[in-house]
Amino acid sequence: MIKTWELDPNFKYEILKEPGGEHLTACFQCSTCTLGCPLTEIIPTYNPRRMIQMSLLGMRNEVLSNPDLWVCLICQTCTARCPQDVQIADLLGAIRRIAEREEETGKLKISSVRPSFDKAFMHQIQKYGRLYDMGLAMEYYKVKEGSFIKGMMAMSKDYKKFGMRMFKKGKMGVKSMFPEKVKDREVMRKIFERMGAEKK
Amino acid sequence: MSNLKYAYFPGCPSESTAIDQDMSVKAVFERLGVELEEMEDWNCCGASEVEDPEIVYALNARNLAIAEKKGLNIMTPCSICYYNLQRSNKVLRENEELRKKIHSIDSSLTYNGGVEVKHVVDALVNDIGIEEISSKVQKKVNVKVAPYYGCYMGRPPLTAFDDPDAPILMDRLIEVIGGEVVPFDYRKAKCCGGPLMMTVPDIAFKMARDILEGAKNAGADCIVLACPLCGMMLDAKQEDIEEAFGIKIGLPVLYITQLLGLALGISPDKLGLNKNVVDTKAIVGRVV
Amino acid sequence: MGIAVIGGGVAGISAALDLADSGYKVYLIEKNAELGGKMAELAECKTGLSPRIVKIQNHPNIELMLSSELEGLSGSAGNFKLKVSGGKEIEVESVVLAPGYDIPDSVATSYGYGSPDVVTSLEFERMLRAATISNELKRQSDGKPVKKIGFIKCVGSRCQDNEICSTACCAYTAKEVWVVKERFPDIDVYVFYMDVRVFGKDEELVADLKDNYGVHYIRSRVPEVLPEGDKLIVKYEDLRAGKIEKLELDMVVLAVGLLPARTLPRLAELTGVKTDEYGYIETSISSPMETSVRGIFACGTATAPMKVRESVGLASGAALKAALMSQRTERIPGQEERKYIEVKEDEPPKVGVFICDNEGEISKTIDIPALAERVKGLRDVVAVNSANTIEEALKALESGIVDQGLNRVVFAGCSPREYEDIIREGCAKAGLNPYLVELVNLREQCAWVFDKNVTDAAFDILRMAVERAKRLEPIIVERYPVVPRALVIGGGISGMNAALDIADAGYEVYLVEKGEELGGGLRDMGDIAFPGGESASKLLKHYVDRVTSHERIKVYTKAREEDVRGRAGMFKARIVGDGVDEEIEFGACVIATGAKEYVPEGYYGYGSDNKVCTLREFEKSGKVQGDTVVIIQDVGPGLKEGAYSSKASNIEAVNAALKIKEENPGVEVFVLYREVKTYGKWEVLYKRAREKGVLFLRYEKPPEYKNGIISVFDVIFNDEIQIKPDMVILSVPMVPAEDNKRLSMMFKIPLKRGFFMEEQERPKMVLTPVDTVNEGVFVCGSAVYPAMIDECIAMSSAAAGRACVLLAKDFMETPAIRAVVNDEVCVGCGVCVQICPVEAIELTEEQLPVVTFGVETLVGGERRIAKVGDGCIGCGSCASYCPSGAMSLQHFRDKQVYAQLDYA
Repeated sequence: MIKTWELDPNFKYEILKEPGGEHLTACFQCSTCTLGCPLTEIIPTYNPRRMIQMSLLGMRNEVLSNPDLWVCLICQTCTARCPQDVQIADLLGAIRRIAEREEETGKLKISSVRPSFDKAFMHQIQKYGRLYDMGLAMEYYKVKEGSFIKGMMAMSKDYKKFGMRMFKKGKMGVKSMFPEKVKDREVMRKIFERMGAEKK
Repeated sequence: MSNLKYAYFPGCPSESTAIDQDMSVKAVFERLGVELEEMEDWNCCGASEVEDPEIVYALNARNLAIAEKKGLNIMTPCSICYYNLQRSNKVLRENEELRKKIHSIDSSLTYNGGVEVKHVVDALVNDIGIEEISSKVQKKVNVKVAPYYGCYMGRPPLTAFDDPDAPILMDRLIEVIGGEVVPFDYRKAKCCGGPLMMTVPDIAFKMARDILEGAKNAGADCIVLACPLCGMMLDAKQEDIEEAFGIKIGLPVLYITQLLGLALGISPDKLGLNKNVVDTKAIVGRVV
Repeated sequence: MGIAVIGGGVAGISAALDLADSGYKVYLIEKNAELGGKMAELAECKTGLSPRIVKIQNHPNIELMLSSELEGLSGSAGNFKLKVSGGKEIEVESVVLAPGYDIPDSVATSYGYGSPDVVTSLEFERMLRAATISNELKRQSDGKPVKKIGFIKCVGSRCQDNEICSTACCAYTAKEVWVVKERFPDIDVYVFYMDVRVFGKDEELVADLKDNYGVHYIRSRVPEVLPEGDKLIVKYEDLRAGKIEKLELDMVVLAVGLLPARTLPRLAELTGVKTDEYGYIETSISSPMETSVRGIFACGTATAPMKVRESVGLASGAALKAALMSQRTERIPGQEERKYIEVKEDEPPKVGVFICDNEGEISKTIDIPALAERVKGLRDVVAVNSANTIEEALKALESGIVDQGLNRVVFAGCSPREYEDIIREGCAKAGLNPYLVELVNLREQCAWVFDKNVTDAAFDILRMAVERAKRLEPIIVERYPVVPRALVIGGGISGMNAALDIADAGYEVYLVEKGEELGGGLRDMGDIAFPGGESASKLLKHYVDRVTSHERIKVYTKAREEDVRGRAGMFKARIVGDGVDEEIEFGACVIATGAKEYVPEGYYGYGSDNKVCTLREFEKSGKVQGDTVVIIQDVGPGLKEGAYSSKASNIEAVNAALKIKEENPGVEVFVLYREVKTYGKWEVLYKRAREKGVLFLRYEKPPEYKNGIISVFDVIFNDEIQIKPDMVILSVPMVPAEDNKRLSMMFKIPLKRGFFMEEQERPKMVLTPVDTVNEGVFVCGSAVYPAMIDECIAMSSAAAGRACVLLAKDFMETPAIRAVVNDEVCVGCGVCVQICPVEAIELTEEQLPVVTFGVETLVGGERRIAKVGDGCIGCGSCASYCPSGAMSLQHFRDKQVYAQLDYA
């Protein structure tokens, strides 16, 4: 049972303001997104339609702490088919960013490791302007495992075989130990500073 | 085709995990007489990890501006790069306010909307043309192919250049070089799980397994695709997937430009065919 | 000059006929080689449409321009010059646009369309027709019988490519499902929907399908159909169980949406009419047939997606508006003097038999040459002719009467419903009394029903018909002048609009309103406005001003009509009211009594809780209380309790929610609904309301309101949601005017659930949406069905238009087929008076001559005999019950019927 007076009616407006979340309220709960989502074959309870209605109702805490928020593949099937142009893939991204900000201010604990990965990824771009695989892996595993050492151990366990495979085929080598960098890295820093979610 | 020339956006994996794609794209375009000028000092498109669209727009405003200065249209072989470049292109063209906001960050981000963005498959089929390619085919590709398009060729509608559920452009390329397209119906454009590879690998593996098994059950000799992340999942991770589920797949995975290159008579080494993780010799051997 | 009608589909056909029948010259321009448009593609519908097509083809006032398109238009209202393909130029005073609709070129590939077992509803319609003949519904792929079939609604509508609701799909899907279940009860049927937007009889049909036919209505917008082996897989959300279900089907039908005709953009460009953002011709809520160019009118699906009934209504309305701008130049057919060849009783019959193949439909199962050969051998048959089309048959018939001196005719073809009038008219023109014709339905009653020996059966039927024809008698009908005045009952928006249209057409109108003021329901709507429309208060003022200042409208308020007598063209009644008791005569009558809001006494504390009001009460006051508003839809009696869901209540509720949210963004607005029925362009209201942040919760079990808390089980969310409202607005059904019962008795027009809807449901009435069984009496607006304001205006113009077609005539004829009494034989028992369904028979008392001692001298006592009045509808009940044989029905006399039976 849901008591609307205990919910946050402004949550929907908060999402509408977030880039990507602009079309939330167009939803008419038709199920197109859920029925076409390939994830439902693996997680039968996965239901973006329901997540949208929860957001509309203002179930802010339930939505932001919902682990299902972090498994979207961004495959765009829902976005392509949505009859009301809700752009669900972007919408879930917008909600994820609200959740990340909540975590940063200590109001929420996110169980998924995905924000750490995304952040580590963004840090590479911020620093080098291009993806630095090694840097990404080291940062991500460090955060994920809690310490640098634990991270390195977990990484080598996960990636031993894979690394060898890639090395043998010449897809990874000494060159991949060092980052590719764009010349104008200052602008990268500025982009993240000026456009970033932290600014909201 | 000497009049066609693109600003080439290789994308971050081009020097590592997708070096084979990069090699084959360059070789194929050279053979087709289409010049690729690598964009100078390009930056990452944001991939699927930068979730704030405004950051994506700003990152790609820089890339678009680089091409605009050269007066060239962009071609990229990576589906995710394509999506980010193209959506940024479309949004920036429409949204003056956003353009101003981004411009105010740095003058290198000033983009005036004069660039077209093309995915390699779009460029091959719609710019160069099937007829032109057909005229340069030297060998017949006697293989059964499962064409795997992934997400971003037909979706989302803003950037799509093929059908969202039943894409067709790679099928046409495969057919013109003599390959047989196996019935691969709705898996053609179903997600490979790539974006969850690092964070929820068990889901990602299940998604990829469905594609791999689907292709195998359809009688394919190989999978053909055009996205480095899909390549990573289906080729580089194939052994891990086999191990995780205790199954045997052993299906070669080629970039479309690799298969096309073979038909155009380019040597396998030049196409990076020794770099695919699942051995491609059997496929190479059937191109005569 | 004349009027150009562009488009020969059902709307164009109806507009052309209304105009031509009232004496206007009509140019009907159709791009295809045949008339009928989309409707003719549907076999069942064609049956209803073809009589009109045949009538047009034979109409002296219509110039039919087939395979023709408009190529240019110049000039202005009153003097347009049109260039038509083939180099033709015509001059007209006004133009009616009826280009119809098209369906999308393609549907999303995810639906698997292209598989032979995934078909569109139009394709399915054709399959179904074949299946009802072969008695088997088979898969097109492998010929296996269909055991499970799914219908997916809203394919290509209510979506990004086509934002609005296509209106017609919910009803036509229900109809297709019904045919499937009627013919093949073992087939499992699944219907996937978002909202079931049906009204009136369609609402009843859907309830029946769910409750009694076991059809599964499932709320899910199914986005993909996946082939798996020889099955088709669809997935849907089982909302109650909270999981996704997979269903294996043998066949899938896609209910595809409607789009503006592909010819429309070019037509708009040539004529200069504006189109709206959806590509339809732009009209307004208060002038639903008027385009942006004066003198050019639009009707049917040119202005919005709609059903046939509404299309035809708009067509009649547009015809009237076009007529108002034109001069009547032609004669009205049937109004000329007729002389018939005298056929004496003892003259030997000379029967001509005419067989029409109906373009090959009958010869599919009947060997027509063999049949003709056998019929030739029948006694008194002097001519037998077989023709392919009705036009050919008609020519043969006329020359047969004139050249061969036939004095009886048997005409065999498809259903006489299609051609009866034309054949009788053809006979009359050739000089034969039109009642010396016997009509035979060789298609529905023979070719389609017998499995074998069909030609033998056809011969038997024709032999019977010949025997009957030989005994037919000429019937002479009387003519009486038409009173060129109309009575309009009800002074709401529909009544006022009908009165104005009729008065503008040049006829006097009595407008009778039982209340103190004109305005009806508009008075309860305050300043409410719909997007793109004027506010109710402005509309009210505009209409009342025009009506009260019109020189040809006489308004009676606080009055009612009583003691209605007479028949179409010559009615009489009394208007009784405050200080008024006036006898009036009128030729036609429009009933526009409207509907009013149900008073939800006892629902949600209405009446005692000051937070609770009805929708109209809110509209009137416009006041919002507090921060949380809950609008509850469908409060009060529903279908099972005798009320229909009302278009007006449904749409006004969404409109109110939007208005509240727009004006008070900080207020939370909840709409608790069963189905959101924002059909057609109203869908945009629903979308805007959502976008503004109105929350829609779907219930099946009515919400509860206790201790200031509303509890509703949202069936989509699958959980109970509780709200503490500051204001509760109840959207209740619209109930019929109390006066309807009295009017129903007086005019002998049946009611259904208190509305004049029964009329609208007779299959034939789809094409005559404002006509009634009582010729000359028309119904419109919410008297028929609780309708939206634009529909009220359109339908009242339609009723006015139909009334004017009648008023344009100089005289009418008494009906030929009616009961007659043999005074000599009648014993005055009164059985017929009891049995007559329309109370047209009374017993009159006569002085009885008494014969005493051989001399007729004394007048003793009284003798009662039956007398048939004007109201007789020719049903024959009295004739079959009359114990003395005094009653008989003209054209169906005993000897005629028995002769037919003798040869059966």
